[in-house]
Amino acid sequence: MILLKRFALVAFWIAVSCGAAVCLGAIATSRGEHINSMWLVLAAVCSYLIGYRFYGKFIAARVMALNEERATPAERLENGHDYVVTNKWIVFGQHFAAIAGPGPLVGPVLAAQFGYLPGVLWIIIGAVFGGAVQDFVILFASVRRDGKSLGQIAREEVGKVGGIVALITVLLIMIILLAVVSLVVVNALAGSPWGTFTIAATMPIAVLMGLYLRYWRPGKVLECSALGFVLTVASVFGGQWIATSSLGPAFTLPAIALAIAIIVYGFLASALPVWLLLAPRGYLSTFVKLGVIVMLAIGILAVRPELQMPAFTRFVDGTGPVFAGKVFPFCFITIACGAVSGFHALISSGTTPKMLARETHAWPVGYGCMLLESFVAIMAIVAACVMDPGVYFAVNAPAGVVGKTAQTAVATISGWGFPVTADQMAAMARSVGESTLFSRTGGAPSFALGMAHIFAKGGGGDVVLGFWYHFAIMFEALFILTILDAGTRVGRFMLQDLLGQVWTPLGRTGWMPGVIGLSAAIVGAWGYFLIQGVRDPLGGVNSLWPLFGIANQLLAGIALSVATTILLKMHGPKFMWITSGPLAWLVVVTFSAGWQKIFSPLPALGFLAQANQLEDGLNAGKVTGAAVGQTQALIFNARLDAAVCGVFMVLVAVVLVDSLRLWYGILSGAREGDVVESPFVMSRLSGEEA
Amino acid sequence: MRILRNILHGLAELMRELSDQNAYQRHLAEHGAAHSAEEWRRFSDERFRTKYQQVKCC
Repeated sequence: MILLKRFALVAFWIAVSCGAAVCLGAIATSRGEHINSMWLVLAAVCSYLIGYRFYGKFIAARVMALNEERATPAERLENGHDYVVTNKWIVFGQHFAAIAGPGPLVGPVLAAQFGYLPGVLWIIIGAVFGGAVQDFVILFASVRRDGKSLGQIAREEVGKVGGIVALITVLLIMIILLAVVSLVVVNALAGSPWGTFTIAATMPIAVLMGLYLRYWRPGKVLECSALGFVLTVASVFGGQWIATSSLGPAFTLPAIALAIAIIVYGFLASALPVWLLLAPRGYLSTFVKLGVIVMLAIGILAVRPELQMPAFTRFVDGTGPVFAGKVFPFCFITIACGAVSGFHALISSGTTPKMLARETHAWPVGYGCMLLESFVAIMAIVAACVMDPGVYFAVNAPAGVVGKTAQTAVATISGWGFPVTADQMAAMARSVGESTLFSRTGGAPSFALGMAHIFAKGGGGDVVLGFWYHFAIMFEALFILTILDAGTRVGRFMLQDLLGQVWTPLGRTGWMPGVIGLSAAIVGAWGYFLIQGVRDPLGGVNSLWPLFGIANQLLAGIALSVATTILLKMHGPKFMWITSGPLAWLVVVTFSAGWQKIFSPLPALGFLAQANQLEDGLNAGKVTGAAVGQTQALIFNARLDAAVCGVFMVLVAVVLVDSLRLWYGILSGAREGDVVESPFVMSRLSGEEA
Repeated sequence: MRILRNILHGLAELMRELSDQNAYQRHLAEHGAAHSAEEWRRFSDERFRTKYQQVKCC
């Protein structure tokens, strides 16, 4: 019987391996014909299964030697608040809800301009060998160090410099992240009364939920979230009515007005009591996010749509309209969160390590959750690639590239070899209740279109297309705004941490002048980049998303440096390759992308070249009147972007050099390589408790 | 049938955990307190203070 079971298991893994090989082979070799999205889904799922079962287990058993009997911080330091022994699958859900943001949805949609293949391969390979390994090792390291944060671990394992640099890098990345995600919302809602009303309605709904939970039905969070969900869906229907009523023009706002509204919202959310706005919105957003991801997976499996996008487009050469830059290195920084994301290391060394009941749970939670997030990215790329490529480029290419009228846009896009007509775009816009879908940059509208088509094919047809499109926009905006309000608040705390060292009152979270002043400073910082993005003729996403991708991957570089240091101290050089391999790749990718973004002589790509070109135009008198001030602002912004990118690279280079010195010292025997772990304590948890 | 029941039970538990309702029950048990509006406010104030000092992912 045991032998039979063993044989069945071996047969199963052989079948999964063959499945992965066949599906990857099929998508890699298929040219000139449409392939079904199921090939992508199966290739991803089979690869994840193999990665999880073999590579993940190898790291868990041989490298980390996860010990079932070693008490975790959740058990040793249990306090009922942060440190709580929690069921494995609940921690899994919590961790996934914490790591899944708009990144794995937006990045793959933007990277689809290269065709589906580069993005899909990077998402799968990057997650299995890079992202999941990073999340897993950092989670393990934090569990072995009482749930300490990445910054604290960096300070202890690498040195003081690493810790401080990690903190500053995170703060800077947060500012760019908040700017770029708010730009995604602005671009999705500009000129859309339906979408604007729906999102505006979520604010009083959140306040209502906050009051409901605080005064009317305290503690009934699920009941309150269900009420909030019903009201939010009602607001999607209400938005359709508003758009066609006399109130429509009041909700038809230009991008700059929306940007100002979001900046004001960010400030209020940071300064208002958490229970009033942030917390109820956070609950609602978490449930909607998880629900929609499950619905999308079911939708793709049920509809099995064909991909219209080719495997590669001509834009691998760097001339793409969505963002400039060749497939290497820009595909690998555009897709960060679905493959490797430095931000995950902050979650893996935040709440999650304080909840794990057993060390062995770090494997499904750390490694497994990242694979699931990677699958979300695969679904996003499917949603983008089921559209006609012509439609995809019409939606995602900025007016600055394809022209401001429908005629010039369709002529330009058709000239690239992706036929699309003005009538086709007008009919599509009508079917989703929008006045136009041209140049709705940022990724959110095209993801919503793809998702709406998949759901509509699942039932209801074109009649429900408008509802699903706006439901998808609502879903994206809802959890982007949650990141925005929570991120602004966290950014304020970080700034208080830093500035509190300089002047003590600034560090006090209860000192209102400090709270208001530092909230305004954080909002002002990301708000500046947001306004810059809105005024950018290329749509802003062109410059801000790569900047965010570079920053996020550089943070992953810091996390992987720390992870490599830990593995080196644990085992000597034997297993360093596990984290130093992805680290080396990320260093090459991010530094070459960063270098190109700063110094490329092409104005479409290099910030400095863009500034110089604008300056030359200004000096030659080609720009006159009101455009002079705008051009001067663009020149300043391009140079600022170059400086920010340079600062990121220098900060991470400092950590890398610090780590390399330490590694050399340990390997040459000149320095001690002692691991700083909490002492071993035998677990007292019974099987049922864990 | 049992598998389905387990999955549904797991989902319900996850929702209670994500909604902090389980954390609230733990809080009540730890302090030997009964549910009341005042107790919930005390719990949620502390919970949110910790929760919203953590970064949210992209």
